[in-house]
Amino acid sequence: MSPSLLNSLLMLPALVLLAIVFAWPLLDSAWLSSQASSVLTGLSPIANDGANWQRLLGDARFWQDAAVTLRFAAVSVGLELLLGLAMALVLHRPGRGRGWLRALALLPWALPTTVLALGWRWIYNDPYGPLNAILRAFGAPPYGFLTTPATTWLFTVLADVWKTTPFVALLLLAGLQSIPAELEENLVLEGARPGQILRRLTLPLLKPWISLAVLFRLAQALGVFDLVQVLTRGGPAGSTESLALYAYLNAMRFLDFGYSATVVIATFLLLVLLTAIGWLLLVRRPLEASR
Amino acid sequence: MAGLLLGLLLILLPAALLARPVAAATTVRVLMPSPFVDATASLVAAFNRDHPELKVEVARGPLDTEAMSDLAIGGLLLGDSGYDLLLMDVSWTAKYVAAGWLVPLEGLLGEDALEPMVPGARVGNAFGGHLWRMPLTGDTGLLYWRTDLMAAPPRTTTELEAVARRLQAEGKVRWGYVWQGRQYEGLSCVMLEMIHAFGGHWWQADSGPAGGRSELDSPGAIAAADWLVHLVRSGVSPEAVADFAENEALQLFAAGDAAFLRNWPYAWREIEKGGGPVVGKVGVSTVVSAPGISSGGTLGTWGLSLLAGSPHPQAAAEVIRWFTGPQTQKALVLDQGYAPTWAALYEDRELQQKHPLLAVQRQALEQGPLVRPLTPLYAQLSDLLQRQVNGLLTTAGSPEAAMSLAQRQSAVLLESAAGHGSGRQGST
Amino acid sequence: MRSLLLLWSLAPLAWQLYTSLVTPEALVNGSGVAAGSFWTLENYRQVWLADPPIWRYLLNSAVVGGATTALTLTLAVPCAYGLQRQGGRLRWAVTLALLATAIFPTVLLFLALLQLARALGLANNLLALSLPYAALCLPLAVLLLRAAFAELPAELEDAARLEGLNLPRRLRHVLLPLLAPSLASTAILVFLFSWNEYPIALTWISRPELLTLPPAIARIAGSSLFTVPYGAFAAATVLGSLPLLLIVLIFQRSIVSGLTQGAIKG
Repeated sequence: MSPSLLNSLLMLPALVLLAIVFAWPLLDSAWLSSQASSVLTGLSPIANDGANWQRLLGDARFWQDAAVTLRFAAVSVGLELLLGLAMALVLHRPGRGRGWLRALALLPWALPTTVLALGWRWIYNDPYGPLNAILRAFGAPPYGFLTTPATTWLFTVLADVWKTTPFVALLLLAGLQSIPAELEENLVLEGARPGQILRRLTLPLLKPWISLAVLFRLAQALGVFDLVQVLTRGGPAGSTESLALYAYLNAMRFLDFGYSATVVIATFLLLVLLTAIGWLLLVRRPLEASR
Repeated sequence: MAGLLLGLLLILLPAALLARPVAAATTVRVLMPSPFVDATASLVAAFNRDHPELKVEVARGPLDTEAMSDLAIGGLLLGDSGYDLLLMDVSWTAKYVAAGWLVPLEGLLGEDALEPMVPGARVGNAFGGHLWRMPLTGDTGLLYWRTDLMAAPPRTTTELEAVARRLQAEGKVRWGYVWQGRQYEGLSCVMLEMIHAFGGHWWQADSGPAGGRSELDSPGAIAAADWLVHLVRSGVSPEAVADFAENEALQLFAAGDAAFLRNWPYAWREIEKGGGPVVGKVGVSTVVSAPGISSGGTLGTWGLSLLAGSPHPQAAAEVIRWFTGPQTQKALVLDQGYAPTWAALYEDRELQQKHPLLAVQRQALEQGPLVRPLTPLYAQLSDLLQRQVNGLLTTAGSPEAAMSLAQRQSAVLLESAAGHGSGRQGST
Repeated sequence: MRSLLLLWSLAPLAWQLYTSLVTPEALVNGSGVAAGSFWTLENYRQVWLADPPIWRYLLNSAVVGGATTALTLTLAVPCAYGLQRQGGRLRWAVTLALLATAIFPTVLLFLALLQLARALGLANNLLALSLPYAALCLPLAVLLLRAAFAELPAELEDAARLEGLNLPRRLRHVLLPLLAPSLASTAILVFLFSWNEYPIALTWISRPELLTLPPAIARIAGSSLFTVPYGAFAAATVLGSLPLLLIVLIFQRSIVSGLTQGAIKG
């Protein structure tokens, strides 16, 4: 047996499972998005000439959810990057108990999102939660963190940032560890201040890790589901409903599988488009510029 | 490697525990929301003692109606519900029938199975020429009021508002009226009552594939939304009502902080049990409507349905007959304060004495309770309405615009349904 | 800086712990409650004796986590080895596919996987649930292990081959022992993933007694008809977090090095 054939055979079982669990569902959902399959068809598929896609184009709720999802992704990924960088710098500094510090900082990332979302629901509780207790201590009236359509999305972002910043920090920490210490020492000897070191040395060398973190977090944030489903259930007044939650509701509550599949595929296309743009901006262009 | 070994160990140990128990030939498995499991536990135990050949096994679902629906649908979609009977909310029936998940009951229980029920409780169980569900409770929306603060309950929306404002001004109560304003099914129940209370309709049935069309931009519907918003803006209802489900509203009323409460029959027993400041000072009446209009409460009954794929429908039907029968219901009225569905139980002297709510419930059920749109698309229609009305309660916006948007969205949904839903409807 | 970091990370968790240990009256009235009725273990008793009890969910999650970890490593080790030894276009294509699937948000798969579970009769089976879980973990596992294989000197395997050891023996006696640290950190990450996964568990498991922890907790969240038992919720979240807390604290070095090493080489 040739080595190449052997290598392919070794990879085959894993690749087959990946194809079944990733490729087939996308193809299946793409096909289902061309079918009527709902309670009105007895849950069996009937071709409907792109009616699902026509409905999607005119569905104000889909576009609102798309805007909500994009806003959520943009703001939470941005904040996670900033805070993640700060956290990585703190975790990188040598000192006693650094291992424990890293473990404790990592904790929010390691715990189940639904568990944490339930915890945040209590933290945001009106009027008995701790945030409202703080407001009360300052003599302010209680605030409806989860009942004010204009601001509730910010508090879903906060919960997400708290949960996933450690992951971003860990990726950036890997980048920091790959920077040789001598480079920094040289700059220090030249009399550079910490801010200058960050701008001239750390950030440029950290670029690949930042790109990786942004692409990963962007894709994940565009599929946000667990958090909003437990924390707000898409409310108040639908102001935090994500695309994934809309797809889920269409399937599991409204029993409209054709339309659910359409929302899934539309979200997938949006995801591909945005990650492709992100890849071009973050990875491709810097590569060409560096040539 | 430690993780790997740990993993293997964890698989091997509990694998034996996971093997499903072999079902006895006549075990009937019933899935119910948690409160019903507790309420019926002793009755089910007695049934199992008396019937050695037929075992009833009750599985505990979640408390919340929507969570319960998600769980049941999850199992049915997987083709592995594992249950013979499901205790269903009245608003689910049309959807489950269209999905082909239910078995008609008339052949098992007789064509006249619903005859002995109060007329109001019969609604929403039989359609398309089949009986799909046997009602266990006859709940309708009710108005709770404080007997220590007024001599008689208000009959109209205007009266209610005036009394509430007066009591608030006198400092007798912090709030006037509490109800369910959260973005969930309870808000649709409130809206249905209010739309009819102002002379409108949510739904006009027809013979189309969706079973009807909605009329959410009618003057009555707009007036209904307008009144609810007005209650919040004018301080008769707290702003927090926009996040109130049944229980939050009940808590506030039971604490003596509100003059009026909109809730279901269970609330009476909860208030009495709770031992709070209003025990013995609570009256119950039918819901109010605009002057000159007679209206009713939303029908919110629970009932048992037989799931397709049950291996022993005869035995399951036997259990339905027992569960929804007069003895069981009488016991549930006495122990739990549930509203019965049997007409004869409303004549029962013992019950009338021990459960003062019975007279009001009978009135509410005979007045013609309001049924939520009987269509397989109900979940979507309700969702659209909830979003708009909850939006009105939480942000500035005009009721006209919100309701006509809800109407437009409903129409789009129904049209897209009409496009493809012709063939298979009702072919079950 | 460090204390600020710890405050940010731990304060919300500490609040849960506090909530789980006090009575409902203490939660609402704060210090106005008599000392005797402030602290309580009642919330833990309640979730421990609930129907189904919380340890059932923890056990279910442990079963899925164990099975997923075993299956993922079984598939990922040969795949990573093959990928590392392979050259040319195939290697490039497979690596790209792995990267794409590694960042893919899994929730978009729920609809088709639901149909798959129905068609193949895989619903309500904890061991079957580890099939999609293994697939979702494979991209990361293969990338991490490939990086670890790349670390090993090629001469080592050549020497073993000259001694006449076939591939399975070379893997078992020569390569895998050297990879033990990477295997351990990969295993822990896979276990963490399957302990936390939500949308697939939500759609594949409908029997209350078979639920894993995340959907069980989410269902608790949807149940507030008669009271709003925040103390019990908090007790459930504390008990649900405890196993992971232990894992993270015990294996913190493996987790951090696993992720950082993988990121550097991958």
